[in-house]
Order: sequence, then structure tokens, then C-alpha cells
Amino acid sequence: MMIFSKLVAGVLLVSVAALNFSMLASAYGQSAQAPASDPTNAGKAVFSRANCVGCHKWHGNGGGGYGGDALSLRKTEMSRDQIIETVGCGRPGTGMPFFTRGAYDEVKCHGMNRQDAGAQMPPEGGTFLRPKDIEAVADYVIAHIKGAGEPTYAECVTFFSSTSRVCDVYKAQEQKPDQANASTGKSQ
Amino acid sequence: MERSSGYTRILMRTCLLAVAGAAASVMGGLPVSAADEVNQERLLNVDKEPGNWLHHHQNYSAHRFSTLKEVNRDNVKNLKVAWTMHLGGIEGGGIWSHGGLEGTPIAENGFLYVTDGWGSVYKIDAHGGRGALVWKMDPKTDRDWAGAVACCGVDNRGVALWGDLVISHTLDGRLIATNKQTGQVAWQRTVADPDKGEVITGAPLIVKNMAITGVAGAEYGIRGWIAATDLATQKEVWRTHTIPAKGEPGSDTWKDSNNAAAAGGGSTWVTGTYDPATDTIIWGTGNPGPDWDNAYRPGDNLYTDSSLALDATTGKIKWHYQHTPNDPYDYDSVAENVLVDIPGPSGPRKLALEADRNGFAYAIDRTTGKFIWGLPFVKKVTWTKGLDAETGKPIEYDPNKPVQTYVASVTPSRTNMETDICPGNMGGKNWPPTAYNPDLKLWYIPVIESCNRIKVEVATPEKLKPREFWTGGGPSQPFTITGSVTAIDVTTGKIAGKLETPFPNLGGMLATPDLVFTGQPSGEVMALDAKSLQKLWEFNTGGGVNAPPMTFTVDGKQYVAILVGLGGAWDKWFIDSTPELKKIQPGSMLYVFSL
Repeated sequence: MMIFSKLVAGVLLVSVAALNFSMLASAYGQSAQAPASDPTNAGKAVFSRANCVGCHKWHGNGGGGYGGDALSLRKTEMSRDQIIETVGCGRPGTGMPFFTRGAYDEVKCHGMNRQDAGAQMPPEGGTFLRPKDIEAVADYVIAHIKGAGEPTYAECVTFFSSTSRVCDVYKAQEQKPDQANASTGKSQ
Repeated sequence: MERSSGYTRILMRTCLLAVAGAAASVMGGLPVSAADEVNQERLLNVDKEPGNWLHHHQNYSAHRFSTLKEVNRDNVKNLKVAWTMHLGGIEGGGIWSHGGLEGTPIAENGFLYVTDGWGSVYKIDAHGGRGALVWKMDPKTDRDWAGAVACCGVDNRGVALWGDLVISHTLDGRLIATNKQTGQVAWQRTVADPDKGEVITGAPLIVKNMAITGVAGAEYGIRGWIAATDLATQKEVWRTHTIPAKGEPGSDTWKDSNNAAAAGGGSTWVTGTYDPATDTIIWGTGNPGPDWDNAYRPGDNLYTDSSLALDATTGKIKWHYQHTPNDPYDYDSVAENVLVDIPGPSGPRKLALEADRNGFAYAIDRTTGKFIWGLPFVKKVTWTKGLDAETGKPIEYDPNKPVQTYVASVTPSRTNMETDICPGNMGGKNWPPTAYNPDLKLWYIPVIESCNRIKVEVATPEKLKPREFWTGGGPSQPFTITGSVTAIDVTTGKIAGKLETPFPNLGGMLATPDLVFTGQPSGEVMALDAKSLQKLWEFNTGGGVNAPPMTFTVDGKQYVAILVGLGGAWDKWFIDSTPELKKIQPGSMLYVFSL
């Protein structure tokens, strides 16, 4: 049974494998379900499935690193419409991919087609999203991420609802607010 | 069922090997029942069992050289797939959409031990010209916890053997001992802490009764270390930090008022080497953090970007050699130090060779830590005009300057916030291991021929947060990146040959008496002539080669094995420099070749 379910998961993963590095959904192995009553559940699923978490992280704060700086969605001042446009068309000249099928071809983005965009052409997302999915993820970002301040333990366990220790660090921070900075490098 | 037949076979093999061994005085002195037990004696004398591959880097000196020559220059064109095995471990977790394979298989008496990216260990019976899984140990790595702070992929580079145990690491910071016969976990110990941004990707190095562990996390504000665990008592013997504590020697090379040293990086994620003659472990250290804002951490930032020699018994630092002081490029020196003895003007020279991410290959006197020679092994270096012939330091290096600028026009800094560097920040050579042919005195480097673009972001103490990137900027990939295999004649310190390849070498090297094996992330495994580097054989695996080849024998027949499954940093962060590789699908497969 165990072997069977792993096999199925493997086949699924391969069959939807990424066209474009990490843009593949990273949902496998992590639960991303909000309470059933939450109207932004569908958007939360898209947030994982479209691998927004790969750069913006589960908390949306993004951060620097090897992929450059994914902008903080917690600090964003974008409106719902602007978020929808950014997800659909990507951000020219940055690593933010576009997720609308046909963007810069049949669908003009920022008034540009592929030729106009040239070297500024953003990468293509690992999965395309339907307009309804893009609206859903924008609603999720606005309801749960935009303006949310620093990530909390409660938010983290709501996001993961799993047995992973991924949230422990936030619990520790809340217990010892004065030691909130990173590793002090003390020997174990 | 499989398990018991595997066990029976082990017993049978034990007897056969013991008999054969005694006849050839290979295993002389060892009790018959200990033939499958790995001890220091066997680890020191791997040349006496050429059909096995007992060390991650083949021997303590990291030669990755096998004397096996059934497969040779004359017949390698007939090499073909003997068998394959699908493995698992491509699941995503944290910021990663899938895992990959970077491991080197270990071979002992006809059995292979391999890992996948999440640290599952597979024991495979390779007898009879096919592979059969004997057992799989799944450590159930906490994927979201570890995957969120693994800068560069869901990676595990393999196991080590000790006694009747298989010793392995997990990305979430554990050292695990698995019973070799049963596949049951005998014990495990937490060595690294992902809550601090620490993860483990390297294979353990076994020295005497200890497992030596290195750590990754210099992009997450760790303070690096190398740790030794006593395999008999499961207790820590020593832990040496690669960044000195306040007041310790070298602490004055962190001249800032930010306490940058406490989160200063210096990770140790590539398995090191061991010189039994002096009981010295030689291990490379990674970049300082934040990677690209070196004005945050004025001073040389010891012992980042260094080769470190440690007393194996105590962990005390004997000497260090730093390659890129106050590094503003992310030019780790984590690479393996290859231990080589060559004739010198006044007796044999005992060298430690290292191919650095900064694009230069170094030979250091491993007795004193003094520079012998260095040369660029990549086609293009822009960050320095060269090395000082005496000291080996970049010629622009000024020990009186708190913040180094090297060739200032290309160096990332607070006044040069966006700039192109060559090599790119993945370096001229990353973790994929070199190989050394002691007969030809040729050293083969798997090269990334590259430039990339660095954008600096000024770091401030408030930006330092647990489990978040601490890089002071980030790279982008406006340039096409290719690769090469570059051979260096160690007697002269000169380049002896270069075979250019369309893609960067992300797998590493294997040397045999007259061949060199390697692979490409576009799928090809290839054999080259050891002297001319002419390509003699190639097979397309249909996956992305991201791991080094190795070779072994079963029942007297030679096989070449390699794990195939593109993952790691390239697939996520650097793919725009090799757009064709976007076609390569995630995968997880062991290929075994024979004549």
C-alpha cells in the first residue's frame, strides 16, 4: 500500500514536471488546507500548486538569496487588480514568472508582446493558471498575507497543518522575543 | 524474502572473500567473520581491495582513481548498460519543487549503498549482472523544515561504512547508523539544527572510530563547524567552529560592530580528506555571510573560504590557507582537498590540491599550509588579475584594507551595486569532485565556465532572521554558461588539456589508468582518454547527470555506476544560463554499465 501510493505520487510528479525550474507545484508532502469555511482556500491551494512558495516562501515575505530578491507580499501595496496583472503577466526584467497561458502572445501584457518585451521577457511559470485561479490567489494574498506584519506561529501552523517542525522557530521567537535574531552560533 | 536471500548471499560472499583474501594475503590478520566489517585498517588500505569503493572520495586522499582496467581505452566503446534501478526521493519540500541525485555509490563485496536527496539509503545486491534491492532505509526527513533552509537543493551525497553499519546524514541534521544486514536503524543522533539554518548534504568521512560531519547554511546566517561523533559511544568527540569565537585566534579578522562573525557562514558541506601520516583532517570552508555585502563584515573573515587542517584526534586547527579574503563573490572553498605526493626539488612534496570556486586551482604544502602554486583553470577570470607568486593571494589583496575591492570595476560592493563577475557565483568548480591519476600525475577538474550578474543589497542587523536568507543580494543569469573538463599536470602546475562541453559539469570525475569518466546535465555519461581528453564513449541517460561516476567489480567483472537525476542549485537558481536544460525532467535512477 505504501509502495503503491509512493509510486502514484512519483508518476504524478513526473507527469506534471516543471518546464521552468522550480515553478512546479511543491504541494506534495505538505498540506496546504485552510479551514473549510475559509473562502480563500482555493487561492491558498494555488499559492502552493503554482510554487509561489518557492520564492515568496509560505509566509509571503520573500527575501534575498540565490534567486535574487522575491518581493515581500506582506509589505506590498498592490491592489487586487495589480496582483492579478502581476501573476498573469509576470514582472518584466525580474524573475517573477507569468502564469497566464498565451501571455505576451495572444494576450498582451503591459502593452507588450514577446518581441516588444525582448530581454525583459519574464520567465514562464511552471504551470499555467486560469483567470479564476489567479483571482483566487490574489484574494488569498490580500486576505492572509498583505499587510500581515511578521509571520507568526499561528499563521505557520494554519498554513502547514502538518507535523513538520517548520513552525517551531516562530514559537520559540514568540516565547523569547529578545532573542529573535538568527543563530548566535553557540556550540551545541 | 529479499532480505533473507540477501543475507544468505552476504554470508556466502564473506566466506568466499575471506578464502580468496587469505590466499592473496589481502585480508591477512582479519578474522573470517570480519571480512564484511569495515574498520580503519581497511579504510587505510583500499588499494588492497580494488573491486570495492569504500570511501566517498574512493580513498582518504580523494583521488577518485580506480586501478580497475577491464574497461580501458581499447574497449570502452563497447561499454553498455548492464542494469538500471529506479530510486525515489524526488518529492518536493520547503522551497524545493523536487529532489535530485548528487551521491557517490559505495560498493563493498558486490553490494552498492546509495542515497537519494532526502537521505533514504538503498542497499542493492549487484551480483549476477543485475541489481536487486536488499533494503531501503527511509529516515523520514522533515521535508518542509529542512527544505525551507536548503539553499541549493534536496541533496545527499552518500554514505560511509563502519563496522556492520551504514553511516549516513539527513538534510534535517541527523547522523544515522543503519544495520548493514537488516536495514534497521541502529541509532541516530542530531548533529545540525535547521532552526538555525543548518542542514547536512555531504557524506560522512570515517576517521578511526569517528564520523566527521560538515554543515551547510552560509546563506542563512549559520556559524559553520566540523563535528566528530564517536561511532561506538554516539557521543560528540569534538566540534570545531570555522569562525573563531571572540578572543580566539582569527577573531580579529571580523572588524565590524555588527557581531557579523556570529552569523558569518563558513559552512563545510563537502566531505574532506585525511592524512594518516600526520593524523590530519583537511576540510574546505564556504563563503562568509552575507555573501555579497562584504562591507558588512570588514576584515579577512577567517576561516571562511579556506582550507583547514585539523588534528583528527582533537579537532584543533593546525593551519589554514585562505583563498579569497573578505569574499564579496560567494566563492566558497568547500571543495575537497586532494592529497598528492610528488617529487620536489628537495625531496617529496606533500600537497593538498583544491579547485576553488574563485576559478583558481591551488597546491598547498599540506605539512605547513604554505602556498606552492596556483593557476586559473577556467577560461575567464575577471575579479582579479592573478595570484601573487609568493603568497597565492589575489594580487590586489591589501591586508591593511578592511574591505577588499580586488578588481573594483567588477567587484560587487556598496558602490557597485550591480555587476558581472567571472566566474559566476556558482564558481569555476562547485561541489562535483575532481579525480587524480597518480600514474599520469594528472588532476581532472569538472568545470563550470561561467559569468553571472550580482545585485548587492546592503545588509543590516535587522535583516538577519532565523531561517531566512542572509545573502546581501542575489545573482541573476544573463549569460550562457558552458563547461569543461580541465586537466592539470600536478608536477608543473600547468594546464595539460581542456575538453569543452556544451553544459557546465555538475557531476564530477572518475579516473582509471587510461580513462576519465564524467557526465553532463543534459544527460550524457562519457569516457575520455586520460591523456588527450578525447571522447571515446558516450551514452545518453535521458536524465540530467548531477552526480559523479564510480567503478567496482562483482565476481571479477568491472562495472561503472552513476546516479542520474537533475536537482540541486542549478535546476532552480541557475537554469536561465542553460535554457536547454529546462527540458530535463526530474528523475531518480541508478545506471550501471559494463562491457
